[in-house]
Amino acid sequence: MSPEYRSKEPVFSLRDVGVRFGENWALQHIDLEVRAGQRVALVGPSGAGKTTLLSVLNGSVAPTTGTARILGRDRAGIGGRELRRLQRRVGTVHQQLHLVGPMRVVHNVNAGHLGSWSLARAARSLMSPREIGSVEAALARVGIPEKLHERVDRLSGGQQQRVALARVLVQDPEVILGDEPVASLDPARARAVMGLLAELATERGRALVVSLHAFELAVYHCDRIVGLRQGRILLDVAPEDVTAAMAEQLYRL
Amino acid sequence: MTSTAAAPDVDILEREALAPPSSAGPGGSRSRARTVWSILVVAAVIWAAVASGIGRQELVNPGGWPLVRRFFAGAVAPELSGDFLRIVGDAALTTLAYAVLGTALSLVIGVLGGLVGSQVWWRGGERSPSRSGGWVAARSAIGVPRAIHEAVWGLILVNILGIDPLVGVLAIAIPYGAVTAKVFSELLDEAPRDAFTALRTAGAGRLSAIAYGLAPLALPDMISYAFYRFECSIRAATILGLIGAGGLGFQLALSFQSLRYNEIWTVVYALILIGLLSEVWSRAVRRRVTTAGARPLVGLGRPTRDRLLVASLLGGALAVPLTVWHLGLDPTTLWSTRTRTLAADLAGQAFPPRFSGAAVAELGRLSLETLQMAVLAIALAGGAAALVAFVAARRGPLSWLCRGVLLVCRAVAPPVWALLVLFVLFPGPVPGAVALAIYNFGILGRLMAEVVEGLDPRPAGSLRQLGATAPQAFLYGVVPRALPQFAAYNVYRWEVTIRETVVVGVVGAGGLGRLLTDQLAAFDYRAVSLTLAAMVALTLAADLAGASFRRALR
Repeated sequence: MSPEYRSKEPVFSLRDVGVRFGENWALQHIDLEVRAGQRVALVGPSGAGKTTLLSVLNGSVAPTTGTARILGRDRAGIGGRELRRLQRRVGTVHQQLHLVGPMRVVHNVNAGHLGSWSLARAARSLMSPREIGSVEAALARVGIPEKLHERVDRLSGGQQQRVALARVLVQDPEVILGDEPVASLDPARARAVMGLLAELATERGRALVVSLHAFELAVYHCDRIVGLRQGRILLDVAPEDVTAAMAEQLYRL
Repeated sequence: MTSTAAAPDVDILEREALAPPSSAGPGGSRSRARTVWSILVVAAVIWAAVASGIGRQELVNPGGWPLVRRFFAGAVAPELSGDFLRIVGDAALTTLAYAVLGTALSLVIGVLGGLVGSQVWWRGGERSPSRSGGWVAARSAIGVPRAIHEAVWGLILVNILGIDPLVGVLAIAIPYGAVTAKVFSELLDEAPRDAFTALRTAGAGRLSAIAYGLAPLALPDMISYAFYRFECSIRAATILGLIGAGGLGFQLALSFQSLRYNEIWTVVYALILIGLLSEVWSRAVRRRVTTAGARPLVGLGRPTRDRLLVASLLGGALAVPLTVWHLGLDPTTLWSTRTRTLAADLAGQAFPPRFSGAAVAELGRLSLETLQMAVLAIALAGGAAALVAFVAARRGPLSWLCRGVLLVCRAVAPPVWALLVLFVLFPGPVPGAVALAIYNFGILGRLMAEVVEGLDPRPAGSLRQLGATAPQAFLYGVVPRALPQFAAYNVYRWEVTIRETVVVGVVGAGGLGRLLTDQLAAFDYRAVSLTLAAMVALTLAADLAGASFRRALR
């Protein structure tokens, strides 16, 4: 068992971050601090900047203005190999569309190892899967141990989302990000997968930041609600303090 | 506290984990089918390589290398004299004329045959698994002309119509009409049925319900396919020229016989230019037609204002009378007394086919040789194309180089490649396979590059996000999704190549095509009819095998 990921330093620390794509500011004046063990929900209407914020957090987008510290490192001024090493420590769960459909579950889960594997090892593993023990453990943890050798595109939506979770488990990151991870599931399965994600994220003191469409999922599974609207943070409250007026203000047209 | 949050959902988790057998069952049998097919494919490639004599007998004719060198030296100094350019220009018009008329006629056949070959015509809209006798008969009638290559149609028709431009037009229109009919009928059957059913229940007749409720939905894909067929018709017209119908193919054959390399290259450049222009045009039209989507092309509402589309459709319609005039076509030849007598004579001489043990054994041997050539050609072409496709799909100078090479490979028809390959390889299945491989490399490389371009970038992108290097993301996120589609295209081209082996046989590279040319030259029509039957049987068998393989790939 690896140690708990609890450190004194915040996992993410954003100071006055802005991101501009061409002419448009996707994010402006974002101040956000996330600590280990926190479960943060990002809510807000489409186009509010939730996905951009997650891209800043996992290092794939560098802020245009302000500073973003990821796991204690300043995003500005790092790139290449160093950035890779940092991104390996941040896991992201997308909708299941980001899995490789025609590939078997075992390889899709093993893809979580790619950040630490050499190319030769990655290629060999496609012939005969490596580190199968960790893959089996991860699949057992997400409840589909028998799907090891199935092709991902033969699985149901809920099962595919569990494969995506298993991939993050194998990657063993210090923080998990979720970009609408349950948007394409029906309400019952969305709740099941979301519960699993929240549990996996925090069981070893990892932080979780997840963008969600459904307000009630955010309130139910997370301990902090951050509302975005037009690229700015509109609210940052505990779930029990959320009022109907806040939701109304966030989503009004 | 986190575990309590997940607790109410455990039952769902288990229900999913236990997996309904319905989804596991077909998946299991499908993966078994894939395994069986993989073994079969490997075995077939090994067999084809061994049986064709690679590594055992003398294949390369070293005396031919100087010829090849001189051939490629001609590339930098094509014949550009005014006289020859005029000849080539005229020949290009003739080839285009055959392609235009062949396509136009095949569309007429395709629309009529597509109606009669569709399930909705025979069953009036009920989607029922049982098939009506009329439908089966129509589909079989479509299947046979399709199985015989355009070049073979040309060789047969020339015996009935004599040297007449009608031969070239019909040789394209008959097999292409049949393919188009098959595709159109499938498009009609796959189109959403709701509007059609509503019209039928409101009392509309079958044909008018199809015209108002189905055809508009299938039309964009039908137009798109028509333009694709035109591209193919240009290649077919070149091949027909080689066997005497005139045009660029004929010029090419003349220059080849007299080994005037500079002239050959002028014609080849003309072919490449026409190939490039027709592909760019057809691609532009097809993209517009299929993305026009909601906007009606014809019929209710304001018709499309897209200039390129309107010009293309009008130009196509206008080109038909122009080409009739250019070729000096006289349709009355079709029902002249002479034609009828010759057709009756030919039928009398061809039937019944002459069966004999020796003839059947020979046909069996040559069918295997044909199969062998096709397998070898696709194994070579598919392997090379898969590598090049990933490069061609990127941006940059290397990509343009790859695209250029692919274009040249497919702009020059397989029999021309065969003529070239026969300089350095002794006649037999290997040169035929190599010639077909070069041509198919051009086609498969383009199709595969389109697959790679069309892939969803998100899976590879998410791998990059978790810290994978670019080559790793390629290996895990791109290759596994491209390969099944590559395999499907390979199988599809293999089916087509079975038919096309005939063309390289015609120029002496072996297989059933060579036998057929010899029999036709000897006017032995009772033997010809037996060979044709063998060709049809082989093609239909390959179609069935290919369809079942592609199902297993899905």
